[in-house]
Amino acid sequence: MTEVESTTVCQPLSLTNVRHLLDSVDAFLLDCDGVIWKGDTLIDGVPRTLELLRSKGKKLVFVTNNSMKSRKQYALKFQSLGIPVTEEEIFSSSFAAAMYLKEKEFPPEKKVYVIGGEGILEELKLAGFTGLGGPGDGAKTVQLKANTLFEHDKNVGAVVVGLDPNINYYKLQYATLCIRENPGCLFIATNRDATGNMTDLQEWPGAGCMVGAVCGSTEKEPIVVGKPSTFLMDFLQNKYNIPTCRMCMVGDRLDTDILFGQNAGCTTLLVLSGVTSKSTLQDPPNHIQPQLYTNQISDIFDLLKS
Amino acid sequence: MLISCRATVVSAAAPQRFLSNFTRISSVSIPSTFGSSLINNDREKNIKTSLRWSNYSTRMDKKKNLDVTCAAASVPAQPLENADALIDSVETFIFDCDGVIWKGDSLIEGVPETLELLRSKGKRLVFVTNNSTKSRKQYGKKFETLGLSVNEEEIFASSFAAAAYLQSIDFPKDKKIYVIGEEGILIELGLAGFSYLGGPEDGGKKIELKPGFLMEHDKDVGAVVVGFDRYFNYYKVQYGTLCVRENPGCLFLATNRDAVTHLTDAQEWAGGGSMVGALVGSTQREPLTVGKPSTFMMDYLANKFGISKSQICMVGDRLDTDILFGQNGGCKTLLVLSGVTSLSMLQNPNNSIQPDFYTNKISDFLTLKAATV
Repeated sequence: MTEVESTTVCQPLSLTNVRHLLDSVDAFLLDCDGVIWKGDTLIDGVPRTLELLRSKGKKLVFVTNNSMKSRKQYALKFQSLGIPVTEEEIFSSSFAAAMYLKEKEFPPEKKVYVIGGEGILEELKLAGFTGLGGPGDGAKTVQLKANTLFEHDKNVGAVVVGLDPNINYYKLQYATLCIRENPGCLFIATNRDATGNMTDLQEWPGAGCMVGAVCGSTEKEPIVVGKPSTFLMDFLQNKYNIPTCRMCMVGDRLDTDILFGQNAGCTTLLVLSGVTSKSTLQDPPNHIQPQLYTNQISDIFDLLKS
Repeated sequence: MLISCRATVVSAAAPQRFLSNFTRISSVSIPSTFGSSLINNDREKNIKTSLRWSNYSTRMDKKKNLDVTCAAASVPAQPLENADALIDSVETFIFDCDGVIWKGDSLIEGVPETLELLRSKGKRLVFVTNNSTKSRKQYGKKFETLGLSVNEEEIFASSFAAAAYLQSIDFPKDKKIYVIGEEGILIELGLAGFSYLGGPEDGGKKIELKPGFLMEHDKDVGAVVVGFDRYFNYYKVQYGTLCVRENPGCLFLATNRDAVTHLTDAQEWAGGGSMVGALVGSTQREPLTVGKPSTFMMDYLANKFGISKSQICMVGDRLDTDILFGQNGGCKTLLVLSGVTSLSMLQNPNNSIQPDFYTNKISDFLTLKAATV
């Protein structure tokens, strides 16, 4: 049986290679936005495909850079879409941020300022940390008066920045002051995706936007915990004890999902149901080539059944 | 710390200067965690400018992980001792405003007398500010309120620079400009005869990320201008992002990329660099910056007033905008310590930007005389 070679030209998933894919992989790491769903709309054929993979004894792990929800909230989303998935199978970048702080033994008496959604705050709380900011700061405005000082908590020891559709100047200023003025304050990004399918009809600015804003005002680069950083992969490897060469990363984005898989030595499968089109994949400026590509994950089901 | 030069040094007028990250845009690489490839900047195809300008990437912060290779070592700045000699050696003084002329809304001590002295010696005075919230006219009023007689024609705010740049490239009047920024930009674009969308009123717009929701954007937008914006929100970012990504040939301009700014004199505030950073994050493109330290405004006023750059002294309080602006332009440079930069910051080994001279504040011109023999 020939090994799927890591070449610079990727192959379409087909009858000739789908079985080898299944045989060479014990765990499928699946991105969510653009692979499982788009916004709140399920992509066609996903439930039966996941069921098939499970029936063949494959472990499924859902790895999403979207930090808006916690693992628990994502599990509820899966369930509402009719897909049985447990919290333990989900690795969101919100969870990654909390795990990173835990691993670094971030002191629990220090606080964490969050630009992002409820998901980050919840994961921080579950990990025993105190989070400030988050959605609540979305309504705050800034007063620019000669005698008014914009205050910030000197006990903030880390700023976590993720996707935040309620981004505003108050949050940017708060985070900027923490990073610039609190000694040793960490600057953590859940991810830096430029855009994402926050709704089914179009792409929207991703966390890369909020992170870029804070980089612009602090002149610092963040520690990135989400894809393509290997932090999450190291975490998964420790947990599942499966070698990365027996994993397949399935995603819709080249510079996060596919790079994430490649950096760790996994098989990589790009689906065209999300942000990447075939022409983007094949465009000369693109240097990231997955091993395989296909339209959507239900192609796995269709090919195996035919 | 020595920083590598990324591209050909265009200006021959600054041989002894330390020019860092002097970039003429043909292609721009964005440092990122993705390992993404060079991003092709095809905006140059739209540039038909008769002005030799250069866009400087402000990502040269010492704290980042930049490749550090050998470049010309910078000569340490000298304390200003003989003000008259400096004054006599140039024809024009360019002043930054925040931290040089005023702090917030308070005039810095001795400024009116200093400006009067320079005018009495026949020096041309120009005021160049990266602050894009006001128009030139509105700045003129601020000067007036503070008791300074400054003509609107002597003021160059980055709001004006954005409009002047678009004029210089013959930006078509039937195209529109989407603005993420405040009133100053809108006023200047309007004065230059351009149609614009956005600005402060989009600060009240909300979006709901739900199935079936589509944000439309005007396909006639040919440029997005981004500057400091207190009313920044997701709606604006998405609108700007859609224009840049989907309207063919759409320009992405930044008035400036200052990381922080003194909106009040008590503390620093996240600056235009923040809003620009947000759009860079979502578009994965680098903008054309018209404000300091890009030399666009320097070239513009040198052209306008017919002055030679070696006859100019740039006076500012910020190393990575004001002083670099002066150095990039081949002018003499004077740092004042009345603003954001302290002497220890200037002398910090991590700092590689050395002005020709430094002094406490501009009113030192009145007191620092050559010793009479």
